[in-house]
Amino acid sequence: MHWIALLPLEEERMAWSWHALQFTPRVSQADGCGGTGGALLLEISASHRLWGGRRALLRRLLAPQALAAPRAWAHGSSAWTALALLRLKLRGESGPGVRDQLPLDTLSAALAHVDVLARTGCRTWGDLRALPRAGVARRFGAALLDALDCAYGERPEEHAWLVLPDRFDLKVELPALAISAPELMWSAARLLTQLQVWLQARQRGLLALQLEWTLDLRRLNGVALPPNEQLVVRTAQPSQDMGHMRRLVSEHLARATLAAPASDLALRTLETTPWAGANKSLLPEDQVKGERLHELIERLSARLGEGAVLVPKAQADHRPERMQRWQAARKLQNPTAKAKADADATRHGGAEAAYPPWLLPTPLPLEVHNEKPHYHGPLRLLSREQRVETGWWDAGPEGLALRDYFIARSEEAGLLWIYRERLASPDDEHRRDVQTRWFLQGLYA
Amino acid sequence: MPAAVLSRNTALAALSLPDVWCADQLAQAPLRTLPTGHAALDAQLPGGGWPLGAMVEVLQSFPAQHVWQLLLPGLAQAAQEGAGPVVLVDAPCIPFGPSLHALGFPQERLLCVRADASAAALWAAEQALRCADVAAVLAWLPQVRGTDLRRLHMAAQQQGRLLFVFRALRAQHDASPAPLRLSVEGVDVLRVRVRKRRGPPLEIPIDLPAHHTRLAALLAVKRKGAALPAQAPGARTRPGAIPSREKNHALDRSVAA
Repeated sequence: MHWIALLPLEEERMAWSWHALQFTPRVSQADGCGGTGGALLLEISASHRLWGGRRALLRRLLAPQALAAPRAWAHGSSAWTALALLRLKLRGESGPGVRDQLPLDTLSAALAHVDVLARTGCRTWGDLRALPRAGVARRFGAALLDALDCAYGERPEEHAWLVLPDRFDLKVELPALAISAPELMWSAARLLTQLQVWLQARQRGLLALQLEWTLDLRRLNGVALPPNEQLVVRTAQPSQDMGHMRRLVSEHLARATLAAPASDLALRTLETTPWAGANKSLLPEDQVKGERLHELIERLSARLGEGAVLVPKAQADHRPERMQRWQAARKLQNPTAKAKADADATRHGGAEAAYPPWLLPTPLPLEVHNEKPHYHGPLRLLSREQRVETGWWDAGPEGLALRDYFIARSEEAGLLWIYRERLASPDDEHRRDVQTRWFLQGLYA
Repeated sequence: MPAAVLSRNTALAALSLPDVWCADQLAQAPLRTLPTGHAALDAQLPGGGWPLGAMVEVLQSFPAQHVWQLLLPGLAQAAQEGAGPVVLVDAPCIPFGPSLHALGFPQERLLCVRADASAAALWAAEQALRCADVAAVLAWLPQVRGTDLRRLHMAAQQQGRLLFVFRALRAQHDASPAPLRLSVEGVDVLRVRVRKRRGPPLEIPIDLPAHHTRLAALLAVKRKGAALPAQAPGARTRPGAIPSREKNHALDRSVAA
């Protein structure tokens, strides 16, 4: 049996236990006596050969990427020995070479009786062991002897082993009341670090998480407030790398508002998938620096709004404004490698060659003088009309399109794509008072 | 030319320093380039094409003018080589996918970013440059300061990306960190003036066709009635787009249909 006792920082205790569970399934938490509350005890005799020996295991255990180094650590042949050595280290004393020389106040079970025992001249573990067992059991209770036997490996130890939770749900108290959402970022970043350890231990990739902050006020200006507010952050590709999540959360927090000052912050996972690991390559063409496309789209969408980051999707329609639909890039799993079949299905013979590469957001009504359209001066029509008559199945004024398209030339603006709106019924065409309307829809550039 | 100068020139050429070039020659491109698709323009650019990893500044009087005619051949090639999108930041109009598709640029490769504020547009352009998958960034930045341009240029330099910044023609006298500045104008002909390049100043503008071959052929048909149209002067000839009577007739019909 070989035990390691280590004392992590208080706020990273959970993360350290998850980290330790990678190396051995036998991890337990020490009792709170003697200034070592929150110390972790690891039994590694069964697994140290898997990690290449005790020394290699210790090296990997004590240098995690994401977590701060532990305050102190020690190892010994039993849990109590390791813990006693840890306590000595914390006090700044050096441990004696022999177990018998360990001071009695490093044994949790003896802490209550240290003064009495010291007055009888009994100061070390060896002294206590030398006393007659029956007398010690009568005077101090059997628990002290049991603990001493466990410490010497003469009796099996009992521990409540820690297990890895199924989902990550951790709540921390903020160092100070947060008045605006960006102030939550410091605590959120620390939670994300712990989440990374949990993901690594559970071999899962993160897809969605929820931040929840507890409001410190019940009502504000006479309006009742909910006890807490939530923020959900999603990403397209599962990942264990928290760099992107941290930036994404900070973008979301920069746009979020707090209804009232917040006192606590909780982070929980909403959606995770089994993590297959990241592919590594030595080929130079795979060594691209920079972030991935989905990360860019998610960050742009977070700051500018989802409606501001768009990709076109081809549609089968003859109305130019409906030949493509703009979709939020965030909604598409893989925006650039979309099915090319869509684009091919919407070929219109050779007519696209006459289409302009720029389209106006909405058709611009043109001034008409002498029945000629004007845009920065009179326009000269260069082509025959292309008649579009479609959309009668759609209700509303935007549905039915009766248009004659022309390519027109402006002295200033170059070639323009304009259309003349035709009237719905042939009777109207004979009426003089109805003026033909011209619109500018595209630019050749 | 005296022999001493000649020998000095050859000595300089033998040195082949990436950032040193003779004043009367184009710089030997230290960075990769992408052919523009216009042979007349390629001949006047250092390295024979758009520089990758440097800002190209395009000055125009109308923000949407001549963009696709100038850039599309190069962009189509960039889209073929890489898998990523071409990011348009704050484009003045909506790009029309079917038309671009017909001209050889896959429309699903567009990614349009709209930013309300100038600072947001700059931020979006810089973020897009830092993304590994993006093929090119086209940014319309009418009100941009020199320091911000320098920042964009550095981002493009670090990542080796194709970056075009479009500004108004009145910015031509402002200092700019871009190693290549062009101004484009003209209605019937695309007149490109090279304002700044790594090489001797170019006084004569480069004239490129203002419209692609198929549109030019279509307009020629209309201009000359049913007569056989002449090839538009300087128009790029493409296999499959040779103006024949049937082809033009078909094109004409497709517009009239």
